[in-house]
Amino acid sequence: MLDTATVDRASTFAPTWSGVIRHLHITPRAFLPMRSMPELNLVAGKGIEGDRYMIGREEGYYSSKPEEGRQVTLFEIETLIALKRDAGIDLGPEEHRRNVTTEGAPLTHLVGKQFWLGQVLLEATRLSIPCRHIEEVTGKSIFDPLINRSGLNCKILKGGTIRVGDAVRNA
Amino acid sequence: MAGLPVRGIKTVVEAIEDGGPGIKVYTLCDPDRWELPPFKPGAHIDIYLPGGLVRTYSLCNDPADDKRYVVAVKREADGRGGSIAFHDGVKAGDTLVVSLPRGGLRIDGAHHVTFVAGGIGVTPFLSAADYLARRGGDFTLHIIARGEPPLAAMLAPHRASGHAIIHDTRVSARPTLDALIDTAPQSAMLACCGPLDMLDAFERATQGWPAERVHVERFVAPALPIDPEARPFQLVLARSQREIEVRLGQSMLDALLKAGIDIPASCCGGICGACRIDWLEGTPVHRDRVLSPAERARSLMACVAGSAEERLVVDL
Ligand code: FES
Repeated sequence: MLDTATVDRASTFAPTWSGVIRHLHITPRAFLPMRSMPELNLVAGKGIEGDRYMIGREEGYYSSKPEEGRQVTLFEIETLIALKRDAGIDLGPEEHRRNVTTEGAPLTHLVGKQFWLGQVLLEATRLSIPCRHIEEVTGKSIFDPLINRSGLNCKILKGGTIRVGDAVRNA
Repeated sequence: MAGLPVRGIKTVVEAIEDGGPGIKVYTLCDPDRWELPPFKPGAHIDIYLPGGLVRTYSLCNDPADDKRYVVAVKREADGRGGSIAFHDGVKAGDTLVVSLPRGGLRIDGAHHVTFVAGGIGVTPFLSAADYLARRGGDFTLHIIARGEPPLAAMLAPHRASGHAIIHDTRVSARPTLDALIDTAPQSAMLACCGPLDMLDAFERATQGWPAERVHVERFVAPALPIDPEARPFQLVLARSQREIEVRLGQSMLDALLKAGIDIPASCCGGICGACRIDWLEGTPVHRDRVLSPAERARSLMACVAGSAEERLVVDL
């Protein structure tokens, strides 16, 4: 069992890192291919303009269960590199079906914390869970390799436009 | 079925065109003209028709044409009702839900492909012909038809290039399949789609060919059980006193949703815990990774669990 002191220390410890946005993708409906975008408009408390999980116009696979904490989803480019290195799987940034592909940001460490994506302030709500349908959509056996590293779900606290190349940093 | 997860791809009928005697050609698009999920030459989709029917149709357009799904439907007055529901019930501008594309012909790397189609059986070969023509592939498409061939407009460029040959049985004798196959090079891949007796004759005519170079399109939905031990079973819903069948290759979750029973689901792969239900009698085959042995004594995960017996009773 972890003692409270350890938990407190670890959850307030702010490691130094600096990340960058490498790719941005959206899709208006479940199962449709993701389209690469140079920039995206994030609306506080709602979602991404034009994306399937924008609150109020959901057309995503999980639209029957609107989820406040899934306004925008992030994925580490390092996971794509690891999939290739460890499992020989070529998965492109348009195939993992998360909106923002980051580099240099320790996403799995950010659950419960706030951080900046360019000028947009996010709060990470939980780790994403892979979906079996990603195998049908991509034709690749990636469900198992993606367990526990399938990205990060976030709420948008302060909206704005984000662009490829923007910095990702601690709040 | 409001409130259920999105089970397919939402499309709108952009155009309905005449495809020859008794045939209509439907062009389906995303409502915002977004790209549709990709498909292989010869692939097909399931279409959810008015009245609850689900039917499988070949995609007829070039796979490079990524914003449209084109299907051709021949009205079969004595059929099982799908073509009538389509012809009479679907109008331009309607919304149709379709499945992800499945299947396809393995024609990459073939030196030559000889396609033999009986009438409307040409549909799975049209996307393949466009695909091969675009990439400079070598192929011959034989269409055996009585009178005007189906889908003449789609065939026109392939007739002009000499790749498609129409055998009109009103003006000349019906060619034997042996004769058509004899014209194919030894290294060719052979494919056939048409009425059942033609498929049987084709199988006999190709007995001497290596099996991996012979393709017979039978339009039977391929059952893809995740587990080779999986079998169909009856699911008995104790509280609502209903019985539903879980088909081979189908998940219990899918069978429940199709029966209109709303089960929450998320990962559909046995890890998130969303689709947990309790069971009462029978022998569930658990394939999840969330339940402990103690929990399995009462519950199962409907997205992955099967049944070792013909009957499984659940608390629903
Ligand atoms: S839907 Fe996730 S365990 Fe069944």
